[in-house]
Amino acid sequence: MHKFLALLILSLVVGCNNSQNLDNTNYDDPALPESGGALTNAMIGEPNNLIAMIAGDSASSAIAGQIFNSLLKYDENLGFEGDLADSWTISDDYKKITFNLKQDIKWADDEPFTCEDVLFTWKKVTDPDTRTPYGSDYQLVSSASCANNHIFIAEYDEPYAPALETWASLHILPEHLLKDEDINDTYFSLSPTGSNYYALDEWTTGQQVKLKTNPNSVHGRPLLEKKITRIIPDLSSQFMELIAGNIDLMNINPIQYSRVFPSRSELNDKINLYKEMGNGYTYFGFNLKKKPFDDVNIRKAISYAINKEEIINGVLLGLGEEITSPYKPGTYWENKSINKISFDVSRSRELLEKSGYQLNANNIYEKDGKPLAFEILTNQNKQREMTAVLIQRRLQDIGIDVSIRVIEWASFVNRFIKTGEFEAVVLGWSLSLDPDQYSIWHSSQQGPGQFNFIGYNNPRVDTLLEDGRKELNNEKRKQIYDEFSKIIYDEQPIIYLYAGYGLTAIHKKIKGVKKTTPPAGVFHNDYEWYIPKKFRRNEMSL
Amino acid sequence: MRKIIKNPMSLAGLIIISIIGILAIFAGYLSPFDPNYININAILLSPDGTHWMGTDALGRDVFSRMLHGAQISLLVGIVAVGISTIIGIILGSVAGYYRGIADTIIMRLVDVMLSIPSFFLILAVIAFLTPSIWNIMIVIGLTSWMGVTRLVRAEFLSLKERDFVLAAQTLGASDFRIILTHLLPNSLGPIIVSTVLGVASAVLVESGLSFLGLGVQAPTASWGNILTDGKEYIQFAWWLSLFPGLAILITVLGYNLLGEGLRDNFDQNT
Amino acid sequence: MLNYLIKRILWMIPMLIGISLISFFIMHLAPGDITSNESAFNPKASEESRQKLRELYNLDKPIIVQYGLWLKRIVQLDFGSSFASHQRPVLWEKKDENGNIKPGLIQKALPITLLINLLTILLIFSISILLGTIAAIKKNKIPDRVITLFVFVGFAIPGFWLALILMYSLGVVNQVLPISGLHSIGYEQMSKLGQIFDLLKHLALPVFISCLSGLAGISLYVRNGMIEILNQDFIKTARAKGLYEKKVIFVHTLKNALLPLITILGLSIPGLIGGSVIAESIFAIPGMGKLFYDAVLMRDFPVVMGILTIGSILTLLGNLIADLAYAWADPRIRRGLAK
Repeated sequence: MHKFLALLILSLVVGCNNSQNLDNTNYDDPALPESGGALTNAMIGEPNNLIAMIAGDSASSAIAGQIFNSLLKYDENLGFEGDLADSWTISDDYKKITFNLKQDIKWADDEPFTCEDVLFTWKKVTDPDTRTPYGSDYQLVSSASCANNHIFIAEYDEPYAPALETWASLHILPEHLLKDEDINDTYFSLSPTGSNYYALDEWTTGQQVKLKTNPNSVHGRPLLEKKITRIIPDLSSQFMELIAGNIDLMNINPIQYSRVFPSRSELNDKINLYKEMGNGYTYFGFNLKKKPFDDVNIRKAISYAINKEEIINGVLLGLGEEITSPYKPGTYWENKSINKISFDVSRSRELLEKSGYQLNANNIYEKDGKPLAFEILTNQNKQREMTAVLIQRRLQDIGIDVSIRVIEWASFVNRFIKTGEFEAVVLGWSLSLDPDQYSIWHSSQQGPGQFNFIGYNNPRVDTLLEDGRKELNNEKRKQIYDEFSKIIYDEQPIIYLYAGYGLTAIHKKIKGVKKTTPPAGVFHNDYEWYIPKKFRRNEMSL
Repeated sequence: MRKIIKNPMSLAGLIIISIIGILAIFAGYLSPFDPNYININAILLSPDGTHWMGTDALGRDVFSRMLHGAQISLLVGIVAVGISTIIGIILGSVAGYYRGIADTIIMRLVDVMLSIPSFFLILAVIAFLTPSIWNIMIVIGLTSWMGVTRLVRAEFLSLKERDFVLAAQTLGASDFRIILTHLLPNSLGPIIVSTVLGVASAVLVESGLSFLGLGVQAPTASWGNILTDGKEYIQFAWWLSLFPGLAILITVLGYNLLGEGLRDNFDQNT
Repeated sequence: MLNYLIKRILWMIPMLIGISLISFFIMHLAPGDITSNESAFNPKASEESRQKLRELYNLDKPIIVQYGLWLKRIVQLDFGSSFASHQRPVLWEKKDENGNIKPGLIQKALPITLLINLLTILLIFSISILLGTIAAIKKNKIPDRVITLFVFVGFAIPGFWLALILMYSLGVVNQVLPISGLHSIGYEQMSKLGQIFDLLKHLALPVFISCLSGLAGISLYVRNGMIEILNQDFIKTARAKGLYEKKVIFVHTLKNALLPLITILGLSIPGLIGGSVIAESIFAIPGMGKLFYDAVLMRDFPVVMGILTIGSILTLLGNLIADLAYAWADPRIRRGLAK
């Protein structure tokens, strides 16, 4: 038995011949682009189905996005450019989009790509038997057809302004491989054939997904030969793998960005940090159906009492911005003309007292014997928890009694949101690229399971949202949504808290990353990235 | 009692528990800061003269939070164990004394409870009831009574055949009286040991639940959540890991030393 | 004794039904279902489509009907397909007409969990027997104290804390062990022996951490058991007869002290398929713990029920073995049963 123990220890010691205790390589060395090499990154969850229209999770869409193309994609300034389409035209009545598809394109299995594939994909996503949650946008297409092998026509009953965005998020599937398959159950979801830069090389369940270049890629070969995504569910483990050099990039949090890296010079020698506008915003939502949140003055009072700058400095260490409209700052749709509600305690008290509230013996505001007290609900998300704590502190200071409850996601959605049994929430939405906000703010979207769960109802906003969907002229559209966001900000049905930055750490061995991150994000040009031979890992034969 | 003091291990355990207990009880007086006082100008400071254990991501004083966390950890431990012990004593006595159908049903119930992983029960209940310190205590208590039940039952099974019990029965004493005055006091030994060890386990379970996000919720401080909050930057903010980790280690160690010392003590009596 | 055995085995059937029924209801008590995952707050995903999904999975039927449907399949050993993983079979791989194999979830997760648990139990038992024996022989002297302290500290250390510390010092600072995962990059190119070493290196920390907390219980059990026996008359007789000391200890004492360990082994059987979700998350090991935890959070009922079913069968069997062994080992209870 002693022998067994000794053997075990010995095997561990002998087996480790990979010690890289001192990494003296100078990664700042410039080098010319060369193809080959493998990029290793990590995900916390595992993809389960690479047919994006069926998979509901971000891990699956992240991998599927490397394998498939849509008709359109976003360029680096977040405008539209062709992906599988060369060009497109919109008819004068705005009801027809004609896509001119790229010609002489082949799927990874050498079969030609044609309009039939697009038509097939559209039919599948609108088929009631397909288990997809994303069909509704595409069902607005009244008729889809192929004029010939490379012209696809989508016709709408009414002009639908968000249409282009929907065609930028539908992965086109190969008709010849799926036409006889049950798309809900097909093995294709685990072993797909696509048209984009990469193809699936190997998928070891639970451990990693390996992609390799697709020689038939629509846009030509990327420089990086392989991409390996390791599945590491814990972020502290991921961070350790990053600083040990076992993974090459990672999304990091504000503390790692502002505190850990600056305190370690050896990390900065190996790793570059990038900052970009993030993709979501965090807000404080009122249940507008519960008193006193139906009173706009109370909502404004609470907004004045919350110090948003403090939240950004406390939770994000300054790595975020205040917003006044639900659009990505720096983009066309952002409404820059709205005046912020600043942190103003006296103004807050004024509004409360004007509404009839008086401080009681416990220093809490009270009206008709009822103290102003409520519960903030949020889900298990560290940043949201910290935000709620800061809000609680500020509101307690002014005289509003706030308690916090953190709830597991599925329970949160089903027990509280769907049923309307909540008072206030701290949650987030993504920052839209298309300005349409119909499903979140239109009064018809208040059913259980729908997204206007706070109960917002404003006829003018309803009209604006309906018009905005049909207006394809960008200038006119901007006017509609500027008015929309102004009304929302004036009424404060939600309090915009912050839009955090996306913080990425990328190892210096990865060359080709743009120094200034474009609006589309740091990953936008990852097909141009390369790893010079001298920096590649000891990967034996690739 | 004398035996406890004589045994250096259980003595050490007793001293540790007492110190932590005192710190916990007087946390309010001993804390230099309000544990919930947020100071965003003092985020993640390393230990120094003002903040003996540094500050956390919201600038709160870690030492004060640790003291209040001691209260929470011990409260969770004691209440949870209290619940499981009471249930265990009741079920175990009934099973051990009456045997027959009652015994069969109770032991089968024990089997059922042991078959369903406690984590699953805890998660489902906490998801349903939402995490709060009381729900956590109740749920840990409701999922750990099986061991005590078995213990009490086993003690009763062997004690039942003893002369003094037979004598009491012949004299016409009621079952309840026999259980309460004869059997339980003699079974106390293992029960006390189990209780002491149970507190240690409950403290560990709470820290595990915090890791999964199901433990004591913000803004209340617990050792488990101080540890978990800091885990993504332990290379930088080592104080957020070191102190709660050591605290849990020392507390659990103390309870275990005392518990085992007590066990030695009681074993020598039989 | 035979009657007792038969009664216990017959009891297992209603108990299994009872356990599965209770688990099913508890699972449904927790609010939400598979459609409450990410797409629940994705404005692109409509409520109608989610409702369709619910209908397809029979989630809109009354709970007792859903249970009945599940029961009907499970008795035919059909564990069904996972909701969350879009039809991946829960238990074993399924081959479709084209010969494509969809790997089963439990099939993939169980081997690594079994491996870790078996290694852990092996190490715990061997180390504990060694430590417990030494502690018993040198009772109340320094080695005993040191060993007792060591195993207690092992139990008291919060596992994930120690894991993070060791991962950092051994994986980042000194790079002697891997940090997470099961295989190194380039695993496929290694020789068979190289692959075994690689796997052992990756399992070293997880196994070490799970061992550490289990040492205390068993070593003390061995120690106390041996002390009790060493004090008994027949040992004194053997000593008086002049038998060689070491032989006395190893042959007679160990044999008697180890018997009750079978009880513990029996109770460990259900634990064999259980993984620690915390350890598996930190070490990125795709085992049963993480599978179960994720399934509960995603309300993936077939997977949850599948794992609980296997687990409860093993638990009932393990308990039975443990109780039988305990009854056999303790003459007092044997006498009581025989009456």
